[in-house]
Amino acid sequence: MKYEFNWSVLWSGQSGGWLLQGLLTTLEISALAWLLAAALGMVSGAMRTVPWRLLRAAATFYVEFFRNVPLLVWMFFWYFGVPPLLPRPVQDWLFNHGAEFWAGMFALGVYHGARMSEVIRSGIQSIPKTQFEASVAMGLTTFQAYRLVIVPIALRLIVPPATSESLNLLKNSSVALTISVAELTFQTRQIETYTAKAIEALTAGTLIYLVLCLGIAAVMARVERRFAIPGLIARGG
Amino acid sequence: MRRALAVVLTLALALSVAAPAFAETTLEKINRTGTLTIGARTGSPPFAFVNKQNEWVGFSIDLVEQAIAPAISRKLGKPVKVEKKESTPPTRIPLLSSNAVDLIAGTMTDTRPRRESVDFSITFFVTGAQFLVKKGSPIHGIQDIAGKRIAAQQGSTNARIIRERVPTAQLREFPDQPAAFQALAQGQVDAFTNDGIQLYGLRAKTPNPGEWEIVGDFYSYEPYGMAMRKNESDFRHLVNVGLMEAMESGKYFELYDKWFGPRSEAPYPLTAENKRFLLLQVVPK
Repeated sequence: MKYEFNWSVLWSGQSGGWLLQGLLTTLEISALAWLLAAALGMVSGAMRTVPWRLLRAAATFYVEFFRNVPLLVWMFFWYFGVPPLLPRPVQDWLFNHGAEFWAGMFALGVYHGARMSEVIRSGIQSIPKTQFEASVAMGLTTFQAYRLVIVPIALRLIVPPATSESLNLLKNSSVALTISVAELTFQTRQIETYTAKAIEALTAGTLIYLVLCLGIAAVMARVERRFAIPGLIARGG
Repeated sequence: MRRALAVVLTLALALSVAAPAFAETTLEKINRTGTLTIGARTGSPPFAFVNKQNEWVGFSIDLVEQAIAPAISRKLGKPVKVEKKESTPPTRIPLLSSNAVDLIAGTMTDTRPRRESVDFSITFFVTGAQFLVKKGSPIHGIQDIAGKRIAAQQGSTNARIIRERVPTAQLREFPDQPAAFQALAQGQVDAFTNDGIQLYGLRAKTPNPGEWEIVGDFYSYEPYGMAMRKNESDFRHLVNVGLMEAMESGKYFELYDKWFGPRSEAPYPLTAENKRFLLLQVVPK
């Protein structure tokens, strides 16, 4: 059978509005999850390199536990597993106020936090040990040395892998459709329901993801150049 | 950068256009491979589901294996094996157009927009949408769902109707029945809407069927058909002949009794009206 393309389904009817809504939800959930992932990643990434065994063990546990379980399972965990632990009135309130969005956000943020942690740890470990020793010799406490010297340098070193990780996060937000978050992929399926034109809808979704990711990658490439540390980077990109 | 983008887009487009260009009719394909590949659900009892013995069974699958495949094999003069692949509402039409499956045998409602993309067999089942709720729920039908959280299946006709008729209902759409039911069981949603017969099938599979109720008049008309690639009238005719012969010989009603009869897990009596409708589709020999 020759598939008959009908691209007009993408701009006729409500399709445009749905795609826009989906795009906004995708951006919203990804941005919030990214903030959570960055915060968790920075803290646990740094914790994995500190000289205290207990902190290291806690951070290692977090990373290995969360990154080694599929994201889909985390989605179900936060949506189906966590609410029953809360009191009934809180549950009802949550269910009426976008529980699926917040569950999806936590699933995405905590999962990618664990992955981000490894990126940050590798950044920290690429800094010569002497930097840390010099900071301490200057009279900084370990915490100050991390906050003022080590982490800021690490962040400037890890822009390329952190960008990859962030793009992964954005694309993985589509998994949230399994817990009924109406993000971009969900909306492309909605268009399919109404028009039975799956390939057109999927193509529209694909292009939007592609443009979004290319845009972010371009911005991050500029950030990378702007914040490169002269003398520490082997060669300009 | 711009050039790279152009290359990627061209490639993507070329792939999506080139895939279905291989010209071979469905019947020729079945003749060559000796296999009829069907797309079926895995979690839609009693039409197509994986049972406790881990077998993929159901009413739709029986219809294909006992009515449609024999009709095709008689025509081709050789045995035809039935192979099953999983299909879901969002994937079933792409599965057909990419030649991955030849026939969708599940719970697909025949609708006018869908007929623009695929062809349907005669109607093999008639149902309508209802609600599954916890016993004692204040929801008794579509009139009570304003402001309530309602689960539906992604890509189903039900979600679409709810959105149009009761825009204030908070719709939560899940990819499959088990997830939607889980949400209902835990109180994430107040009701789960689906085609009535599927709700009966689902309830029968729950640990405590007595806790659940199926409520409301049909708020939609859902005639199920088997979908296939468009403009393949030879193949469609054979599918229809298979179904018509089954209805005529009583085989269809035997299978109906097996899956929906009083002793089945999900009793769903065939109304006189529906039986008449099914039989009226059988054209003379």
